[in-house]
Amino acid sequence: MDFAEFIKQERLEEFPPAWIADVKGEFVFENENYQIKTEDLSIDYKDLIKEAKRLCIVCNKVFSNSYSYLVHNIDHLTIPLDKLNIEVPLQQNDSQKQQLHYSCVNMLTEEMDNRHGPPGVNSRSLTAAQSAAELEVLKEIENVYFTPPSEFNAARYALEHVPSYTNCDEIEQMFTKLKRQQQVVSGKALHLISQQRDNCDREFGEIQNIRQQLSETLSTCKKAREKLRSASNHLTISTFVILANVRKRQIIKSVLKSLDLLRSLRSVEKDVAELITKKQYFEAIELIMQSKKAASNNKEYKCIADLASRLQDTLDMTEEKLDSVLSSMCYNFDPIVFAKLKSAYDLLGKTQAAMEQLHMHYSSAVNESAFEAVKPFVDNVSMETKFQELCRSVPTTKAPLCLLNLCEKLFLVMRSYYLLVNWYSKHEESSMVTNVFDIEKNVSREYIKQKLKGGLIRIWNDVQGKVSTFLKSLGLEEYPFEKFIQMLGILRKLTQVAEVFCGDTSDLLRDFIKTQSVSYIKNYHKGRMEELKLFLENEGWEQCPVKSTFTLLNLQEFKQFKRYFKPKNDIGTSSQSSSSVHSLDNSVYISKYFNETTRTPFEMFRNENVTNDDIFGLEPESEVSEESDDEPEELKRDFVDDADVQNSPSKVAHSVIVTNTTLSVLRNCGQYLQITRYLPQIALEVIMLMNQLFDYYFFTVHLFFTSDLDVASSTLYTSKLNLLLKRISNIEDSFSSPSIPEHLEKTEANLHGLSERIVGVESIVFLAKQFEILQPYLESIVAQHQRMILEHFRDNTLAVVGDLRMPVYMASASKALDARSALIAMSQVRWDVKTVAEEHSAYVDMIVRKIQVFALRLENISQKITLNVDIVNAVWGMVAKFIVHLLVEGFSNASKCSNGGRGLMQLDYRQLFVKLEKISGLKPIPYQDYVDRYVKAYYLPRNELEEFVRDRVEYSNKHLIALITCACENKRDRQALSSAVEGREAAM
Amino acid sequence: MSESYEYLFKFLVIGSAGTGKSSLLNNFIGNKFKEDRCHTIGVEFGSKIVNIGGKSTKLQIWDTAGQERFRSVTRSYYRGAAGALLVYDVTSRDSFNALANWLRDARTLASPNIVILLVGNKKDLEESREVTFTEASQFAQDNELMFLETSAKTGENVEEAFLKCSKTILAKIETGELDPERIGSGIQYGTGTSKRLGAPKRPTRTPSDCACRV
Ligand SMILES: Nc1nc2c(ncn2[C@@H]2O[C@H](COP(=O)(O)OP(=O)(O)O)[C@@H](O)[C@H]2O)c(=O)[nH]1
Ligand SMILES: [Mg+2]
Repeated sequence: MDFAEFIKQERLEEFPPAWIADVKGEFVFENENYQIKTEDLSIDYKDLIKEAKRLCIVCNKVFSNSYSYLVHNIDHLTIPLDKLNIEVPLQQNDSQKQQLHYSCVNMLTEEMDNRHGPPGVNSRSLTAAQSAAELEVLKEIENVYFTPPSEFNAARYALEHVPSYTNCDEIEQMFTKLKRQQQVVSGKALHLISQQRDNCDREFGEIQNIRQQLSETLSTCKKAREKLRSASNHLTISTFVILANVRKRQIIKSVLKSLDLLRSLRSVEKDVAELITKKQYFEAIELIMQSKKAASNNKEYKCIADLASRLQDTLDMTEEKLDSVLSSMCYNFDPIVFAKLKSAYDLLGKTQAAMEQLHMHYSSAVNESAFEAVKPFVDNVSMETKFQELCRSVPTTKAPLCLLNLCEKLFLVMRSYYLLVNWYSKHEESSMVTNVFDIEKNVSREYIKQKLKGGLIRIWNDVQGKVSTFLKSLGLEEYPFEKFIQMLGILRKLTQVAEVFCGDTSDLLRDFIKTQSVSYIKNYHKGRMEELKLFLENEGWEQCPVKSTFTLLNLQEFKQFKRYFKPKNDIGTSSQSSSSVHSLDNSVYISKYFNETTRTPFEMFRNENVTNDDIFGLEPESEVSEESDDEPEELKRDFVDDADVQNSPSKVAHSVIVTNTTLSVLRNCGQYLQITRYLPQIALEVIMLMNQLFDYYFFTVHLFFTSDLDVASSTLYTSKLNLLLKRISNIEDSFSSPSIPEHLEKTEANLHGLSERIVGVESIVFLAKQFEILQPYLESIVAQHQRMILEHFRDNTLAVVGDLRMPVYMASASKALDARSALIAMSQVRWDVKTVAEEHSAYVDMIVRKIQVFALRLENISQKITLNVDIVNAVWGMVAKFIVHLLVEGFSNASKCSNGGRGLMQLDYRQLFVKLEKISGLKPIPYQDYVDRYVKAYYLPRNELEEFVRDRVEYSNKHLIALITCACENKRDRQALSSAVEGREAAM
Repeated sequence: MSESYEYLFKFLVIGSAGTGKSSLLNNFIGNKFKEDRCHTIGVEFGSKIVNIGGKSTKLQIWDTAGQERFRSVTRSYYRGAAGALLVYDVTSRDSFNALANWLRDARTLASPNIVILLVGNKKDLEESREVTFTEASQFAQDNELMFLETSAKTGENVEEAFLKCSKTILAKIETGELDPERIGSGIQYGTGTSKRLGAPKRPTRTPSDCACRV
């Protein structure tokens, strides 16, 4: 049978579809793929092994079931032999060989046919006569005798045919006849036999031959069949078994698949956890989602139904884990992780919710970071402690470090957010879609964009809030300057960070810094003022030996400002341009920190060697080295004068008179200016405080050295000086005025402390000069509209301090000249002489002697301190002023005065001035007009005298009345003018 | 400045130039040590509140220039000092030799009862030491001074020096040997005490008895 046909037929009957249905019942495959495709192949094995008797049609064997039958059937498989030639190895003649191409079967059949053919009589003859007789006999033989012995009994027949009358002859005859017949027949038979013997023998041999051939053929056939069977065994059975196995395998595979599904569903939790540790969030969510779907698809399994709820739990848990990873983004943004997170959330369809959540995380990250940053600095922190309380318990010594820590921690959160925003803008741009269906997506994206934008400001506000809370609870005022500056530096950096972060100029923090700085500087200033008071109270008013070229720039405190005082430098523009360059640099430089992962802009503060300039990003003073070219470093540092004090005042072009206190004030100014470098926004406030140091010094000098001024002072004080004194008189409201020292020697011999007075006044004059040097720089650091305040100070304070020389030096001059004895001497002169005297009066010599003594003592003073011409002239000026007043006073005491007397007066004061000129070196003597005009008014006509009386306010009423009394002979005129004098007073 | 204290002591730091007086003061008031400190011109000032025997005491410390030419300028600060650190440099024989002069100045210009502590500074520079501890001790004993060796660089004994001196002053006040009320004692009652020194009276400007008007 044909193999293919076999399969076709057999399958149909042997594998009924029912079997497949059965399989389906147990394991439902999702799709048809799992089914065996060819309908033909739908064989049910069960059916195969069902008890059902089958008969082999070939060999009649009976089988108990189809399967065994089927297997047996294979035995009968024949293979077409058309092309199979069998060589029979026989020794045969040629004619026989022609028959070799017989199929076995045919050959056999022919043989068989031949064998069964009917028997024939051989016709080979004897002799003719004999033959005729014998033929006769033969003919006579009844035919019946030729019937085969099985059907015919000859004896019986003969007996039956004996005639009814019995006669021996007849019987004898019959017997002979029969005998004859038998003889003929036997002979004939013998003849025939002998005749046929050769034939027979030959045929026999032939038969033998054929038999042998047959048996050989048979065995060949047998062998062939044997071989064929085994061949068919090998080919067909194994193929079929393979087929069966394939099927089995397929079935088992599908079973396995189901089992796998089950197993994977069961291990979802573990797998998800593993994925999450591998940060494959998207895959984790995907896995859960798929598992959920698979679970819902396979609800019919009981175990899977249970699993479905577990999966939901897993999903919830996973979402929680994602959330915690999300919150960790707040501290250290990782774009790779975040991208994974985002895709996971996208998959979950919770992009927007996650964004909200993330913002909440950022808020709490700010809180937490702040708390964690401060915590290590406080002992005994419980979780309930509020941040504010926590800040309050930070020990002052640790506060700067704590602030640093706080800013650093908060910066990390800010940086993380910054990176987040950057990440979004980068990714959203690249994934912008215009698809209509994505409108919803775009809306959500726009929402997130807005949210992120607002988030920057919000987070910065949170951060600001934290920092402010911390600062407010500190009480910054009490910090040492260095620490304060350091903290300011940190805050400044924070504002710069904010600028990069959200473009915010952080007005809140800046204002806070400003107010804190102002109150710090005020407090600091209070300390300096108290110190200044101490200095002033202890001041010996000795000239400090510094070089004549000394300026404030020689002080270390001003080292950083040197370049601003270079005359040709356009300060305004250069400082502005450099500062703008700085801020640009800063933002570039700060944004670097936003993109770095390990460093923060605050770490510089951890460096012990960091200078304030570093902190504030100011340029190092490169010019210093340049300048040191003009002057060796050694010399510059040692600006103290080693040379002997120069003796002659006239030789001193300009002396530098400074006191310890002056230097101390200057040093303080240097410090104040340093502060302005770091706090440019409060520069004006600082400058005002600096000016206050000046005011206080000035106030004190005035207080100390005019307190013993025993002359009325109306013309000693210029109006500007008066205004200045009035302005600073309220300094006592905020700072107690220094107590006037009692240690200062004031003797006649030292001209009542003239040396100290000079040092006092000249030191403030020097100080004023130094302040003037500072002015252009100060103007450059304040705002345009504030400059007039500085100008006002310069014009109304600095420019005025020289005026203090008058009252202060007058105090000494007046004491040294001893007005009382001079006036007594003058009163003894007779002014009503008729003739003009040739000799000046005696009092003139007396005064000249006093002047000479004064000159000597002044010379002594100049041994100690360098007196320049200005000082000397100022001192002598006061002497002159005192003298002219003394003279007018003396002259006005004259109740009577003649023309001759007036002439004597002129002679006297001329003489005096000549002497004074000689001694003092003043030329001309100032103030001589005062006495000159007074004396000469005597000669004025009445109307001019009236005018004089009315306008010359520098003379007292007493002086004028005395003048009128002497000048007017006419009583009426006298009265009229006197009343004019009186009226003048009333008008004033 | 706002802190209250019971006593205020006026202190001097004297001694030859370069012995480390300014460094000592700066170390004491908490500033960093500087290798290349400028010479002091005239005087500088520092103050600190310390606790001595339970009493908070403000030390008002005047750091004077050691150079000869400043003597006249610094002299006025000696007045009424309650305590002084007399500093020499253990690596400089000259500075040790100058002690006698400084001591005389202190005893004559400041109050006679001034409490003086001899300080041998720069003890960290052991390898270049020129003045031994024993001979300095001897000098201290002979002149009735207390004695300590310090290092402004390492901070060793710096605070101790000021505290020791202050303690002695306080002890002397308690035994009555020093009278804070005496003018020029260099001691004042501070804001924290009930007993206060009346504000020094300001000489009121007496009206001129001179008839002259200027
Ligand atoms: N090695 C060392 N150097 C010191 C010490 N004290 C001061 N110096 C140095 O000695 C020099 C003079 O110090 P300074 O305080 O100006 O002395 P002053 O003139 O007495 O005020 C400076 O260079 C200091 O750095 C110390 O204890 N050890
Ligand atoms: Mg010094």
